Amino acid sequence: MTALTRLGDRAGRATSPGQARPHGGPRARESRWALLFLAPTIVGLAVLSAGPILAAFGISLTKWDLMTPPQVVGLDNYARLLSDDRFLKALRNTAFYTVVSVPVGLTFALGLGVALNQQIRGIAWIRTAYFLPLVTSATAIALVWLWIYSPTGLLNNLLATFGISPQRWISDPTLAMPSIIAMSIWQGLPANVIIFLAGLQAIPVEYYDAASVDGAGRRSRFRHVTLPLLTPSIFFTGILALIGSFQVFDQVYVMANPGKPSEATITLVYFIYENGFRNFKMGYASAASWLMFLIVAVFTILYFRTQDRWVHYQ
Amino acid sequence: MTARVTVAPAVGRPSARSARKLARKTAVYVALIAGGLAMMIPFLWMLTTSLKTRAEVFSSSPLSFPTGLHWENYTKMWFALPQVTFGTFFQNSIVIASLATIGQLVTCSMAAYAFAVLEFRFKRVLFALILATLIIPFQVVLVPNFILYRYLPWPFSQSGNWIGTNLPLWVWAFFGGAFGTFLLRQFFLAIPRELADAARVDGANPWQIFLRIYVPLARPALATLAIFQFMWSWNDLLDPLIYLRDLPTYTTTVGLAFFQGQFVGKWPEMMAGALVSLLPMIILFVVAQKYFVRGIALSGLKG
Repeated sequence: MTALTRLGDRAGRATSPGQARPHGGPRARESRWALLFLAPTIVGLAVLSAGPILAAFGISLTKWDLMTPPQVVGLDNYARLLSDDRFLKALRNTAFYTVVSVPVGLTFALGLGVALNQQIRGIAWIRTAYFLPLVTSATAIALVWLWIYSPTGLLNNLLATFGISPQRWISDPTLAMPSIIAMSIWQGLPANVIIFLAGLQAIPVEYYDAASVDGAGRRSRFRHVTLPLLTPSIFFTGILALIGSFQVFDQVYVMANPGKPSEATITLVYFIYENGFRNFKMGYASAASWLMFLIVAVFTILYFRTQDRWVHYQ
Repeated sequence: MTARVTVAPAVGRPSARSARKLARKTAVYVALIAGGLAMMIPFLWMLTTSLKTRAEVFSSSPLSFPTGLHWENYTKMWFALPQVTFGTFFQNSIVIASLATIGQLVTCSMAAYAFAVLEFRFKRVLFALILATLIIPFQVVLVPNFILYRYLPWPFSQSGNWIGTNLPLWVWAFFGGAFGTFLLRQFFLAIPRELADAARVDGANPWQIFLRIYVPLARPALATLAIFQFMWSWNDLLDPLIYLRDLPTYTTTVGLAFFQGQFVGKWPEMMAGALVSLLPMIILFVVAQKYFVRGIALSGLKG
């Protein structure tokens, strides 16, 4: 059999996926190979991700400290969560973090992406400076920002030159969350900028030429060519930023270390960590994580629903 | 893209136009470099603080350069904790990140090959399921996974199970992963099918085709995955915090957080520690920037 007829054979097979060959045929043999290649993945999916998601729901219906056998308490944990002040604060802080960090972060990244898209000499070096936060651990970065925000730190010194009195950035309840957000935006910029740069470079130059011929200026070209054609990238970074914003932990942990975060900075993931792995309330922590899962799922679905209204695919 | 700049509407005399273009170009450079420096401020400040004395940190202007280069802050930081040095944390991080990277490279490339090349039942369902795990916040499975590892026996640990060992931090990597599978599948799909078909005619089985054709050709994609997994493992805080119990088993991130809790206010040593913990990743980034950029642009994923 030549390679060509093999190819035809394969194409035919691909168009009729439902038709299984008799046992022992090439298709069955290929399925067995596939099973071999996929064995680790299937085990991982069952034991480490899909299975545990269901297990987490089961555990959330119990009271379990790992020392004594679990007691089934039904939806008790959920009811208690909704009247737990610390949980509601965590929920509110996380919501605030999402509502501010996602749009502000994406706007900065978009502007920076356009700025860094210029083909000028040395642009590669300039980009490296902007991309560097990409590879840094949130732990080390939070440590530096803790120092920047400290009463005698860089920020207060900078403000002093403008005659502004020093602020307690991290310990002031109203400033704490915005301070954490500013730091996270700085660290999250590079990834979004890179996605925007890839999107910008995929826009055909002819579109800009045509717009210029029609007399469109720089600003008009941005509004009517760049922005619409970049909406897929914006949509994509939006979903990543949305999911990521629900997972803030490292910054909060470091900023509050030693000790635990005040109600001004506690986030959902910190709440889960605190209850599950410091207080060993497995059921309670699982209930909180399931609520988080539901919230993220609802927002993700709602976000995907808006897609038709503003995302233009070329 | 230089074309894009030159297509600006032609107005004025040529000399005036080129003067304006030069002015614009200068402004662009100044703005971009100033912005780049602003982005670098935390790094620069980390460096200058790490070289100052503790007294100098509080007395001098924060933007001033250190009067002398106090490298001893680095040795002080390195040996600050009893029984372990910062080198131990480094070693632990390297071991965990390397094992996790190997696990992901092997199992993700296998899964990606099955999805890209082989035909089998439930292919689409299974692939959709794997993609779905990408958008699920992994914190949902923290508790069940912790309980799972708590019931897995391990004779060499104090607890008799996996808690307190580094096993929960890398064994999972040998059971596939959504990011790596997706990234490599995209790459495998771009490899012409004729190569595999020709090899099959010569009597090669799928495993041989995978090892001799797909893996060698996918080297850039494998490098991208390796770099990302190494970085994620290196930077992770939550998992090591949950599973590691004793100081000698800590990774650099947990070590750094512990260090911070112990030495509040010792900014020069702390900045030295933070900088040292970031250094391997910064070097990796400068050397392999294109892989980072390609990985993010291709799949748009971040840690």
